[in-house]
Amino acid sequence: MARYNLGTVVSFEVTRTLTKRRFWIATLIVPVIIGIVVALIVGANSSTDNSVSSQKNQKFSFTYSDASGVVDPSIVKAVGGSKASSPSAAIAAVKSGKLDAYFDYPADPAKQATKVYGVDKGIFDNGKYSSVASSILTASAEAKVHDAKLTTLVKGDLPVDATTYDSSGAVSGGIGSVIPPLLFLAIFYVVILLLGNQMLTSTLEEKENRVTEMILTTLNPTTLIIGKVVSLFIVGIVQMLVFALPVVVGYLFFRTSLNLPALDLADLQLDPWQMITGALLLIGGFTLFTGTLVAVGAIMPTAKEAGQIFGVMMALIFVPFYGVTLIVSDPHALIVQVFTWFPYSAPVTAMLRNGFSSLSPGEAIGVIVEQFVLGVVVLRLAVRLFRFGSIEYSKKVSLSAVLPSRKAARAAR
Amino acid sequence: MDQRQIEPIVRIQNFRMDFGRTTVIHDLSFDIKAGETFGFLGSNGSGKTTTIRALLGIYEPTGGVLHIDGKPFSPERGSRLGYLPEERGLYKKESVIDVMTYFGRLKGLGKQESKDWSLTYLDRVALADKASTRLDKLSGGQQQKVQLGVTIMNQPDLLILDEPTKGFDPVNRRLLMDIIEEQKKAGATVLMVTHQMEEVERLCDRVILLKNGRSEAYGTISEVQDQFGGRRSGCGTRARCPRHRTTR
Repeated sequence: MARYNLGTVVSFEVTRTLTKRRFWIATLIVPVIIGIVVALIVGANSSTDNSVSSQKNQKFSFTYSDASGVVDPSIVKAVGGSKASSPSAAIAAVKSGKLDAYFDYPADPAKQATKVYGVDKGIFDNGKYSSVASSILTASAEAKVHDAKLTTLVKGDLPVDATTYDSSGAVSGGIGSVIPPLLFLAIFYVVILLLGNQMLTSTLEEKENRVTEMILTTLNPTTLIIGKVVSLFIVGIVQMLVFALPVVVGYLFFRTSLNLPALDLADLQLDPWQMITGALLLIGGFTLFTGTLVAVGAIMPTAKEAGQIFGVMMALIFVPFYGVTLIVSDPHALIVQVFTWFPYSAPVTAMLRNGFSSLSPGEAIGVIVEQFVLGVVVLRLAVRLFRFGSIEYSKKVSLSAVLPSRKAARAAR
Repeated sequence: MDQRQIEPIVRIQNFRMDFGRTTVIHDLSFDIKAGETFGFLGSNGSGKTTTIRALLGIYEPTGGVLHIDGKPFSPERGSRLGYLPEERGLYKKESVIDVMTYFGRLKGLGKQESKDWSLTYLDRVALADKASTRLDKLSGGQQQKVQLGVTIMNQPDLLILDEPTKGFDPVNRRLLMDIIEEQKKAGATVLMVTHQMEEVERLCDRVILLKNGRSEAYGTISEVQDQFGGRRSGCGTRARCPRHRTTR
């Protein structure tokens, strides 16, 4: 019966959330904004590309003088330019409009600025003068090298494959080994930020609608609360998928326009211990935070009052980031140890340390056990607070009134 | 049928309830036999709702025994119970049919069975056209009819109704009493909190009268009248007291 009811609660909660117009408005607003931003960036980038290439292809009259000796006259001739008789005459010709531009290359173009003089063609079209002046210099330098390989090397666009070794002589993973376990931290943040407020208010609806008594006599409160948490998680996954959709579409179809780096999954290294530790820390932390938020919600009479607690809970998951440098560089510092073991900062700190391989197996096991044990205790407390506290429809519940006394327990038997 | 030979479905013995330092129920004992309709009478604040909540495990009793079918109540046995609480309320942002189907499924009915039963019931209480309407768009009386439907949809063996006709007009009150009477005829045991003598006269086999958390009178209606004699009952206005039914 209880298991059957769990499915019924999950189905009811998920269906009624996903069929609400306001849920979709709130959920779709993020990807719609991301889509608009992507479209604007793609549009802007393609118009910039068009503008640059059209500027490069534009022919205009120009002369130049070269103190460096780098500029190749044949390249200048190919783009319609010629050597100036004198700088002052060239500048005067530009000023009078008889000549479109004049480029004055200094003795050391790498350190000194190339001076460009041109007839004003508007704020965007004026860029063509600098583009052509730079292109002539680059092409002339490449022609002097006479070697495509050397030219590429000089440009510095080089593939590098680095291998580092840890103290035991084994190959260390580098950034490719840090990213996978830190994904659990990212998921933890997204889940808590997206669902935290809903967890807090999940049982308030029963209270505010005065439906608690009907529910408590029909359904085990543990089933109700677990059902609500499971349905929140399902709703959260739907939200995450909707949020991720424009990112995936942007990456697959507009990666170049958005200047997104190419992801090479082969660089990622999955360490089984780190991944299992990360997953358990995520589940344990989620259980503890969920139980705490539901318990707070069961005590508070209204969503408004419960919301005040939400800010405090959010601060607790961001506090470790104030010490992130220390967490990475000196994991044995006192404050890092405090963050590692204090239950509400432990998930974030431990997941960070797990990502950077500074969480020892003993610490990992200790924190995971702490999270799960406390999570179960707090969830049980949350169920009890809902069971005996939510009947106080319009009052804040007193813990002492709700926690069991031996006398009452005997009486119940 | 000799009711004294039937095992009680509800047994309350030496029930005591404290809230902080205040004792609101003092050593209360009574039982309800299977198949009978039991009236729970008393003025506001006399402890009727507290007793029901403790019987259903919503409050933890300070002392005493409160059993349904020989055991403390647990929600897992909810499929045999229909409870209409004093504090009325359902999921207000959901449609009538969705809420009724949800509760039907929680009470062990199939989805289609819940839906079919709900539509039949809504038709009977003149709410067929409101099936897809959100609950908060219904009037208070209409919401109460829906809640009564949720209460009885699993054909409960024990029906606990806390002021079921509160807020109803006379026509709908009569309709509700008809429905309760049908449940009774179908074999349900009914525990009913009421201030209405009409309901007591029409439906109840036995009653208990509470005053300040103590049993003032207990038994069949005629026994209670005998226990009262000429005393004031404390069950509210004099016009509502059992005594006045006989002296009318």
